[in-house]
Amino acid sequence: MKHLTEEELIGQAYGEGAGGVALHLEACGECARGYAELKSDLAEFDRAEPPYRDEAYGERVWQSLSGSLPVYAAPRRRWFGVDPIRGLSYAAACAVLVALAFYAGRQWEIRKAPVTASNNHPQTKQPIVVVVLGDHLDRSERLLVELKHVDAGNTEMVSPLRDEARSLLNANHICRKNAEKADDPALEGALDHLDHLLTEIADQPGGLNAASITRIKNEMNRDGLLFEVRVLRSRARDQGPSGTTHLNGGTT
Amino acid sequence: MVQMGQNDHEAIRAVLSGDKEAYGALVVRHSRTLFRVAFRITGNEADADEVVQDAFLRGYRKLETFESRSNFGTWIYRIAVRCALDRIGGRKADDDSRVADEDDREQNEVQVADEAAGPERLLLSSEIGAIQRAAMHGLTPTERSAFVLRHMEDCTTEEIGAALGIRPNAAKQAVFRAVQKLRRRLAPLRVST
Repeated sequence: MKHLTEEELIGQAYGEGAGGVALHLEACGECARGYAELKSDLAEFDRAEPPYRDEAYGERVWQSLSGSLPVYAAPRRRWFGVDPIRGLSYAAACAVLVALAFYAGRQWEIRKAPVTASNNHPQTKQPIVVVVLGDHLDRSERLLVELKHVDAGNTEMVSPLRDEARSLLNANHICRKNAEKADDPALEGALDHLDHLLTEIADQPGGLNAASITRIKNEMNRDGLLFEVRVLRSRARDQGPSGTTHLNGGTT
Repeated sequence: MVQMGQNDHEAIRAVLSGDKEAYGALVVRHSRTLFRVAFRITGNEADADEVVQDAFLRGYRKLETFESRSNFGTWIYRIAVRCALDRIGGRKADDDSRVADEDDREQNEVQVADEAAGPERLLLSSEIGAIQRAAMHGLTPTERSAFVLRHMEDCTTEEIGAALGIRPNAAKQAVFRAVQKLRRRLAPLRVST
Protein backbone atom coordinates (compact mmCIF):
# COMPACT_ATOMS: atom_id res chain seq x y z
CA MET A 1 0.00 0.00 0.00
CA LYS A 2 1.31 3.40 -0.88
CA HIS A 3 1.21 5.70 2.11
CA LEU A 4 0.17 9.34 2.13
CA THR A 5 2.83 12.02 1.88
CA GLU A 6 3.25 14.66 4.53
CA GLU A 7 1.96 17.24 2.06
CA GLU A 8 -1.22 15.26 1.59
CA LEU A 9 -1.66 14.97 5.35
CA ILE A 10 -1.14 18.69 5.83
CA GLY A 11 -3.65 19.41 3.07
CA GLN A 12 -6.11 17.12 4.79
CA ALA A 13 -5.54 18.86 8.13
CA TYR A 14 -6.49 22.18 6.54
CA GLY A 15 -9.50 20.80 4.72
CA GLU A 16 -7.84 20.76 1.33
CA GLY A 17 -7.28 17.03 1.03
CA ALA A 18 -8.43 15.06 -1.96
CA GLY A 19 -11.34 12.67 -1.55
CA GLY A 20 -9.11 9.61 -1.50
CA VAL A 21 -7.06 10.86 1.45
CA ALA A 22 -9.87 10.45 3.98
CA LEU A 23 -10.61 6.97 2.71
CA HIS A 24 -6.95 6.03 2.95
CA LEU A 25 -6.74 7.30 6.51
CA GLU A 26 -9.64 5.03 7.46
CA ALA A 27 -7.94 2.05 5.94
CA CYS A 28 -4.28 2.65 6.82
CA GLY A 29 -3.31 2.60 10.49
CA GLU A 30 0.22 3.92 9.86
CA CYS A 31 -1.01 6.98 7.98
CA ALA A 32 -3.76 7.50 10.55
CA ARG A 33 -1.10 7.59 13.30
CA GLY A 34 0.97 10.01 11.29
CA TYR A 35 -2.07 12.19 10.75
CA ALA A 36 -2.87 12.16 14.46
CA GLU A 37 0.70 13.26 15.27
CA LEU A 38 0.40 16.07 12.76
CA LYS A 39 -2.87 17.27 14.25
CA SER A 40 -1.29 17.11 17.70
CA ASP A 41 1.69 19.17 16.57
CA LEU A 42 -0.50 21.74 14.93
CA ALA A 43 -2.70 21.93 18.01
CA GLU A 44 0.30 23.18 19.98
CA PHE A 45 0.09 26.37 17.99
CA ASP A 46 -3.60 26.83 18.64
CA ARG A 47 -2.69 28.23 22.04
CA ALA A 48 -1.02 31.28 20.62
CA GLU A 49 -3.67 33.76 21.69
CA PRO A 50 -2.70 37.40 21.40
CA PRO A 51 -2.67 39.67 24.45
CA TYR A 52 -6.02 41.25 25.25
CA ARG A 53 -6.80 44.66 23.88
CA ASP A 54 -9.79 46.48 25.36
CA GLU A 55 -12.45 48.51 23.61
CA ALA A 56 -10.45 51.70 24.00
CA TYR A 57 -7.50 50.28 22.13
CA GLY A 58 -8.67 51.66 18.78
CA GLU A 59 -9.20 55.08 20.30
CA ARG A 60 -5.65 55.06 21.64
CA VAL A 61 -4.28 54.04 18.27
CA TRP A 62 -6.20 56.87 16.68
CA GLN A 63 -4.94 59.40 19.20
CA SER A 64 -1.38 58.37 18.50
CA LEU A 65 -1.93 58.64 14.76
CA SER A 66 -4.21 61.58 14.18
CA GLY A 67 -1.61 64.23 14.82
CA SER A 68 0.64 62.99 12.06
CA LEU A 69 -2.00 62.59 9.36
CA PRO A 70 -2.43 65.35 6.81
CA VAL A 71 -5.90 66.46 5.80
CA TYR A 72 -7.02 65.36 2.37
CA ALA A 73 -7.79 68.30 0.16
CA ALA A 74 -11.41 68.47 -0.93
CA PRO A 75 -11.64 66.56 -4.19
CA ARG A 76 -11.08 68.66 -7.25
CA ARG A 77 -14.00 68.55 -9.61
CA ARG A 78 -13.09 66.15 -12.28
CA TRP A 79 -13.86 66.73 -15.91
CA PHE A 80 -17.66 66.71 -16.19
CA GLY A 81 -17.70 65.19 -12.72
CA VAL A 82 -16.74 61.75 -13.94
CA ASP A 83 -13.75 59.59 -13.35
CA PRO A 84 -10.81 59.85 -15.78
CA ILE A 85 -11.60 56.66 -17.66
CA ARG A 86 -15.18 57.69 -18.24
CA GLY A 87 -13.95 61.16 -19.17
CA LEU A 88 -11.67 59.70 -21.77
CA SER A 89 -14.58 57.71 -23.14
CA TYR A 90 -16.61 60.90 -23.47
CA ALA A 91 -13.68 62.63 -25.16
CA ALA A 92 -13.30 59.76 -27.61
CA ALA A 93 -17.02 59.81 -28.37
CA CYS A 94 -16.88 63.58 -28.95
CA ALA A 95 -13.89 63.15 -31.24
CA VAL A 96 -15.77 60.55 -33.27
CA LEU A 97 -18.79 62.85 -33.52
CA VAL A 98 -16.62 65.76 -34.64
CA ALA A 99 -14.93 63.54 -37.22
CA LEU A 100 -18.30 62.34 -38.50
CA ALA A 101 -19.60 65.90 -38.69
CA PHE A 102 -16.50 66.97 -40.56
CA TYR A 103 -16.82 64.06 -42.98
CA ALA A 104 -20.49 64.76 -43.55
CA GLY A 105 -19.71 68.42 -44.13
CA ARG A 106 -17.06 67.55 -46.66
CA GLN A 107 -19.42 65.23 -48.50
CA TRP A 108 -22.09 67.91 -48.55
CA GLU A 109 -19.58 70.45 -49.85
CA ILE A 110 -18.37 68.11 -52.57
CA ARG A 111 -21.91 67.50 -53.76
CA LYS A 112 -22.75 71.15 -53.69
CA ALA A 113 -19.45 72.32 -55.16
CA PRO A 114 -20.40 72.45 -58.92
CA VAL A 115 -23.35 74.77 -58.30
CA THR A 116 -21.45 76.97 -55.89
CA ALA A 117 -18.41 77.23 -58.10
CA SER A 118 -20.34 78.14 -61.18
CA ASN A 119 -22.07 80.90 -59.26
CA ASN A 120 -19.18 82.40 -57.36
CA HIS A 121 -15.83 81.52 -58.81
CA PRO A 122 -14.53 84.14 -61.25
CA GLN A 123 -12.70 81.55 -63.32
CA THR A 124 -15.94 79.74 -63.96
CA LYS A 125 -17.86 82.93 -64.84
CA GLN A 126 -15.71 83.56 -67.86
CA PRO A 127 -16.77 80.47 -69.81
CA ILE A 128 -20.39 81.41 -69.21
CA VAL A 129 -19.82 84.93 -70.59
CA VAL A 130 -17.89 83.54 -73.52
CA VAL A 131 -20.60 81.08 -74.23
CA VAL A 132 -23.18 83.83 -74.00
CA LEU A 133 -21.17 86.13 -76.26
CA GLY A 134 -20.48 83.36 -78.74
CA ASP A 135 -24.09 82.27 -78.61
CA HIS A 136 -25.23 85.85 -78.98
CA LEU A 137 -22.97 86.36 -81.95
CA ASP A 138 -24.11 83.05 -83.43
CA ARG A 139 -27.71 83.98 -83.12
CA SER A 140 -27.02 87.48 -84.39
CA GLU A 141 -25.18 86.08 -87.41
CA ARG A 142 -28.11 83.76 -88.22
CA LEU A 143 -30.51 86.67 -87.92
CA LEU A 144 -28.42 88.81 -90.23
CA VAL A 145 -28.11 85.96 -92.75
CA GLU A 146 -31.85 85.41 -92.69
CA LEU A 147 -32.41 89.14 -93.05
CA LYS A 148 -30.06 89.22 -96.02
CA HIS A 149 -32.03 86.50 -97.79
CA VAL A 150 -35.51 87.30 -96.61
CA ASP A 151 -38.24 87.97 -99.12
CA ALA A 152 -39.29 91.46 -98.15
CA GLY A 153 -42.83 90.86 -99.41
CA ASN A 154 -43.42 87.78 -97.31
CA THR A 155 -44.61 89.05 -93.95
CA GLU A 156 -44.81 85.54 -92.53
CA MET A 157 -41.06 85.25 -92.79
CA VAL A 158 -40.47 88.74 -91.40
CA SER A 159 -42.39 88.27 -88.19
CA PRO A 160 -39.99 85.65 -86.65
CA LEU A 161 -37.09 87.98 -87.46
CA ARG A 162 -38.67 90.72 -85.40
CA ASP A 163 -39.22 88.39 -82.42
CA GLU A 164 -35.69 87.13 -82.59
CA ALA A 165 -34.37 90.68 -82.79
CA ARG A 166 -36.27 91.64 -79.66
CA SER A 167 -34.89 88.60 -77.89
CA LEU A 168 -31.33 89.47 -78.92
CA LEU A 169 -31.54 93.09 -77.85
CA ASN A 170 -31.20 92.39 -74.12
CA ALA A 171 -28.25 90.05 -74.56
CA ASN A 172 -26.65 92.56 -76.87
CA HIS A 173 -26.91 95.31 -74.25
CA ILE A 174 -25.14 93.13 -71.70
CA CYS A 175 -22.41 92.11 -74.11
CA ARG A 176 -21.87 95.67 -75.14
CA LYS A 177 -21.57 96.79 -71.51
CA ASN A 178 -18.96 94.09 -70.89
CA ALA A 179 -17.06 95.07 -73.99
CA GLU A 180 -17.02 98.63 -72.70
CA LYS A 181 -15.70 97.53 -69.34
CA ALA A 182 -13.12 95.32 -70.99
CA ASP A 183 -11.96 98.19 -73.16
CA ASP A 184 -12.52 96.24 -76.39
CA PRO A 185 -13.41 98.94 -78.95
CA ALA A 186 -13.77 96.53 -81.89
CA LEU A 187 -16.34 94.44 -80.11
CA GLU A 188 -17.98 97.49 -78.62
CA GLY A 189 -18.33 99.13 -82.09
CA ALA A 190 -19.71 95.98 -83.67
CA LEU A 191 -22.21 95.51 -80.90
CA ASP A 192 -23.21 99.17 -81.27
CA HIS A 193 -24.00 98.63 -84.92
CA LEU A 194 -25.79 95.41 -84.08
CA ASP A 195 -27.78 97.19 -81.38
CA HIS A 196 -28.90 99.82 -83.82
CA LEU A 197 -29.94 97.22 -86.38
CA LEU A 198 -31.76 95.03 -83.85
CA THR A 199 -33.60 98.03 -82.53
CA GLU A 200 -34.76 98.93 -86.01
CA ILE A 201 -35.98 95.41 -86.67
CA ALA A 202 -37.64 95.02 -83.29
CA ASP A 203 -39.19 98.40 -82.86
CA GLN A 204 -39.93 99.48 -86.41
CA PRO A 205 -42.97 101.72 -86.06
CA GLY A 206 -45.89 100.16 -87.91
CA GLY A 207 -44.05 96.88 -88.19
CA LEU A 208 -41.65 95.61 -90.78
CA ASN A 209 -42.59 96.04 -94.35
CA ALA A 210 -40.80 95.58 -97.63
CA ALA A 211 -39.43 99.11 -97.66
CA SER A 212 -38.10 99.01 -94.14
CA ILE A 213 -36.58 95.58 -94.70
CA THR A 214 -34.81 96.75 -97.80
CA ARG A 215 -33.51 99.80 -95.98
CA ILE A 216 -32.24 97.71 -93.10
CA LYS A 217 -30.58 95.26 -95.51
CA ASN A 218 -28.82 98.07 -97.21
CA GLU A 219 -27.69 99.50 -93.93
CA MET A 220 -26.33 96.10 -92.84
CA ASN A 221 -24.46 95.60 -96.08
CA ARG A 222 -23.06 99.07 -96.00
CA ASP A 223 -21.64 98.71 -92.56
CA GLY A 224 -20.35 95.22 -93.26
CA LEU A 225 -22.08 94.18 -90.09
CA LEU A 226 -22.51 90.53 -91.04
CA PHE A 227 -18.81 90.21 -91.80
CA GLU A 228 -17.93 92.01 -88.59
CA VAL A 229 -20.13 89.69 -86.52
CA ARG A 230 -18.58 86.62 -88.16
CA VAL A 231 -15.10 87.85 -87.37
CA LEU A 232 -15.99 88.54 -83.74
CA ARG A 233 -17.70 85.20 -83.40
CA SER A 234 -14.66 83.46 -84.80
CA ARG A 235 -12.39 85.40 -82.44
CA ALA A 236 -14.50 84.54 -79.42
CA ARG A 237 -14.45 80.88 -80.40
CA ASP A 238 -10.65 80.88 -80.88
CA GLN A 239 -9.92 82.68 -77.62
CA GLY A 240 -12.03 80.32 -75.60
CA PRO A 241 -12.42 80.66 -71.85
CA SER A 242 -8.76 81.47 -71.10
CA GLY A 243 -8.45 84.20 -73.72
CA THR A 244 -11.46 86.19 -72.74
CA THR A 245 -10.49 87.75 -69.46
CA HIS A 246 -11.57 91.09 -70.80
CA LEU A 247 -15.10 89.78 -70.60
CA ASN A 248 -14.78 89.01 -66.88
CA GLY A 249 -17.70 90.27 -64.82
CA GLY A 250 -20.33 89.57 -67.38
CA THR A 251 -23.59 88.07 -66.33
CA THR A 252 -26.30 86.29 -68.08
CA MET B 1 -13.66 61.97 19.87
CA VAL B 2 -14.18 59.50 17.09
CA GLN B 3 -17.60 59.66 15.51
CA MET B 4 -19.14 56.23 15.15
CA GLY B 5 -22.13 55.17 13.13
CA GLN B 6 -20.69 55.76 9.70
CA ASN B 7 -20.05 52.68 7.63
CA ASP B 8 -16.58 52.19 6.21
CA HIS B 9 -17.36 53.60 2.75
CA GLU B 10 -19.05 56.68 4.14
CA ALA B 11 -16.08 57.27 6.40
CA ILE B 12 -13.65 56.92 3.50
CA ARG B 13 -15.62 59.38 1.39
CA ALA B 14 -15.62 61.82 4.30
CA VAL B 15 -11.86 61.46 4.78
CA LEU B 16 -11.18 62.03 1.11
CA SER B 17 -13.42 65.09 1.25
CA GLY B 18 -11.20 66.61 3.90
CA ASP B 19 -12.71 65.23 7.10
CA LYS B 20 -9.63 63.64 8.69
CA GLU B 21 -11.47 62.75 11.87
CA ALA B 22 -13.67 60.32 9.96
CA TYR B 23 -10.66 58.03 9.67
CA GLY B 24 -10.81 57.63 13.44
CA ALA B 25 -13.96 55.55 13.08
CA LEU B 26 -12.12 53.15 10.79
CA VAL B 27 -9.17 52.92 13.16
CA VAL B 28 -11.38 52.19 16.14
CA ARG B 29 -13.37 49.62 14.22
CA HIS B 30 -10.44 47.60 12.88
CA SER B 31 -7.59 48.10 15.34
CA ARG B 32 -8.09 44.97 17.39
CA THR B 33 -8.32 42.71 14.36
CA LEU B 34 -5.10 44.17 13.06
CA PHE B 35 -3.41 43.82 16.40
CA ARG B 36 -4.39 40.15 16.57
CA VAL B 37 -2.87 39.22 13.23
CA ALA B 38 0.11 41.50 13.76
CA PHE B 39 0.89 39.87 17.07
CA ARG B 40 0.56 36.38 15.64
CA ILE B 41 2.98 37.17 12.84
CA THR B 42 5.49 39.21 14.80
CA GLY B 43 5.11 37.28 18.05
CA ASN B 44 5.80 40.47 19.92
CA GLU B 45 3.34 42.84 21.58
CA ALA B 46 5.29 46.02 21.01
CA ASP B 47 5.95 45.11 17.41
CA ALA B 48 2.27 44.33 16.91
CA ASP B 49 1.27 47.75 18.24
CA GLU B 50 3.68 49.41 15.88
CA VAL B 51 2.43 47.29 13.00
CA VAL B 52 -1.13 48.43 13.72
CA GLN B 53 -0.11 52.09 13.65
CA ASP B 54 2.03 51.61 10.59
CA ALA B 55 -0.78 49.82 8.77
CA PHE B 56 -3.31 52.58 9.45
CA LEU B 57 -0.75 55.18 8.48
CA ARG B 58 -0.04 53.43 5.15
CA GLY B 59 -3.75 52.91 4.65
CA TYR B 60 -4.44 56.60 5.15
CA ARG B 61 -1.80 57.59 2.63
CA LYS B 62 -3.09 55.10 0.08
CA LEU B 63 -6.75 55.76 0.75
CA GLU B 64 -7.23 57.43 -2.63
CA THR B 65 -6.32 54.13 -4.30
CA PHE B 66 -8.90 52.21 -2.32
CA GLU B 67 -11.59 50.97 -4.66
CA SER B 68 -15.11 51.46 -3.41
CA ARG B 69 -16.02 47.92 -4.50
CA SER B 70 -13.55 46.49 -1.99
CA ASN B 71 -13.99 45.77 1.67
CA PHE B 72 -11.97 48.17 3.78
CA GLY B 73 -11.49 45.56 6.50
CA THR B 74 -9.91 43.13 4.07
CA TRP B 75 -7.85 45.88 2.49
CA ILE B 76 -6.38 47.22 5.73
CA TYR B 77 -5.88 43.65 7.00
CA ARG B 78 -3.67 42.88 4.02
CA ILE B 79 -1.73 46.07 4.60
CA ALA B 80 -1.19 45.02 8.20
CA VAL B 81 0.06 41.59 7.10
CA ARG B 82 2.55 43.27 4.77
CA CYS B 83 3.66 45.61 7.55
CA ALA B 84 4.14 42.66 9.88
CA LEU B 85 6.00 40.79 7.17
CA ASP B 86 8.29 43.77 6.67
CA ARG B 87 8.89 44.03 10.36
CA ILE B 88 9.81 40.39 10.94
CA GLY B 89 11.81 40.45 7.72
CA GLY B 90 13.95 43.28 8.99
CA ARG B 91 14.17 41.87 12.47
CA LYS B 92 15.04 38.43 11.18
CA ALA B 93 18.00 39.86 9.35
CA ASP B 94 19.20 41.33 12.65
CA ASP B 95 18.70 38.06 14.46
CA ASP B 96 20.15 35.70 11.88
CA SER B 97 23.32 35.33 13.86
CA ARG B 98 21.25 33.96 16.74
CA VAL B 99 19.06 31.59 14.78
CA ALA B 100 20.53 28.54 13.14
CA ASP B 101 19.52 27.28 9.75
CA GLU B 102 16.42 25.15 10.07
CA ASP B 103 17.91 22.42 7.91
CA ASP B 104 20.64 21.79 10.40
CA ARG B 105 18.62 19.51 12.62
CA GLU B 106 21.21 18.73 15.19
CA GLN B 107 22.01 22.36 15.70
CA ASN B 108 18.33 23.15 16.05
CA GLU B 109 17.91 20.60 18.77
CA VAL B 110 20.84 22.01 20.61
CA GLN B 111 19.48 25.50 20.21
CA VAL B 112 16.09 24.52 21.60
CA ALA B 113 17.76 22.83 24.53
CA ASP B 114 19.94 25.85 25.15
CA GLU B 115 17.03 28.20 25.13
CA ALA B 116 14.68 26.12 27.26
CA ALA B 117 16.93 23.98 29.35
CA GLY B 118 15.73 20.52 28.18
CA PRO B 119 12.64 19.04 26.53
CA GLU B 120 11.20 17.26 29.55
CA ARG B 121 11.22 20.40 31.58
CA LEU B 122 9.76 22.35 28.69
CA LEU B 123 6.82 20.01 28.43
CA LEU B 124 6.08 20.45 32.08
CA SER B 125 6.32 24.19 32.20
CA SER B 126 4.89 27.26 30.59
CA GLU B 127 8.10 27.61 28.64
CA ILE B 128 6.54 25.57 25.89
CA GLY B 129 5.50 28.92 24.52
CA ALA B 130 9.15 29.84 24.18
CA ILE B 131 9.75 26.67 22.20
CA GLN B 132 6.93 27.54 19.89
CA ARG B 133 8.20 31.04 19.44
CA ALA B 134 11.64 29.71 18.70
CA ALA B 135 10.15 27.34 16.14
CA MET B 136 8.20 30.12 14.56
CA HIS B 137 11.28 32.28 14.59
CA GLY B 138 13.04 29.70 12.44
CA LEU B 139 10.59 30.20 9.61
CA THR B 140 11.12 32.65 6.83
CA PRO B 141 8.86 35.72 7.05
CA THR B 142 6.71 34.43 4.20
CA GLU B 143 6.39 30.94 5.69
CA ARG B 144 5.60 32.36 9.07
CA SER B 145 2.98 34.73 7.75
CA ALA B 146 1.45 32.05 5.55
CA PHE B 147 1.25 29.63 8.47
CA VAL B 148 -0.29 32.23 10.77
CA LEU B 149 -2.88 33.19 8.19
CA ARG B 150 -3.72 29.56 7.45
CA HIS B 151 -3.56 28.00 10.88
CA MET B 152 -4.63 30.84 13.14
CA GLU B 153 -6.60 33.22 10.95
CA ASP B 154 -8.37 30.51 8.91
CA CYS B 155 -7.58 32.24 5.64
CA THR B 156 -7.94 30.31 2.41
CA THR B 157 -4.98 29.71 0.15
CA GLU B 158 -6.26 32.44 -2.19
CA GLU B 159 -6.60 34.94 0.65
CA ILE B 160 -3.08 34.17 1.85
CA GLY B 161 -1.75 34.66 -1.66
CA ALA B 162 -3.55 37.98 -1.96
CA ALA B 163 -2.33 39.17 1.44
CA LEU B 164 1.27 38.22 0.80
CA GLY B 165 1.30 39.19 -2.85
CA ILE B 166 2.12 35.70 -4.08
CA ARG B 167 0.31 33.11 -6.16
CA PRO B 168 -2.09 30.74 -4.37
CA ASN B 169 0.08 27.74 -5.16
CA ALA B 170 3.11 29.51 -3.73
CA ALA B 171 1.06 30.30 -0.64
CA LYS B 172 0.11 26.65 -0.31
CA GLN B 173 3.73 25.60 -0.60
CA ALA B 174 4.74 28.20 1.98
CA VAL B 175 2.22 26.76 4.43
CA PHE B 176 3.47 23.26 3.70
CA ARG B 177 7.11 24.19 4.27
CA ALA B 178 6.19 26.05 7.45
CA VAL B 179 4.39 23.04 8.94
CA GLN B 180 7.27 20.75 8.01
CA LYS B 181 9.80 23.00 9.71
CA LEU B 182 7.69 23.52 12.80
CA ARG B 183 7.19 19.79 13.23
CA ARG B 184 10.90 19.19 12.80
CA ARG B 185 11.61 21.64 15.56
CA LEU B 186 9.01 20.14 17.82
CA ALA B 187 10.21 16.58 17.13
CA PRO B 188 12.68 16.43 20.08
CA LEU B 189 9.89 17.30 22.46
CA ARG B 190 7.59 14.71 20.98
CA VAL B 191 10.27 12.02 21.17
CA SER B 192 10.95 12.85 24.80
CA THR B 193 7.37 12.40 25.75
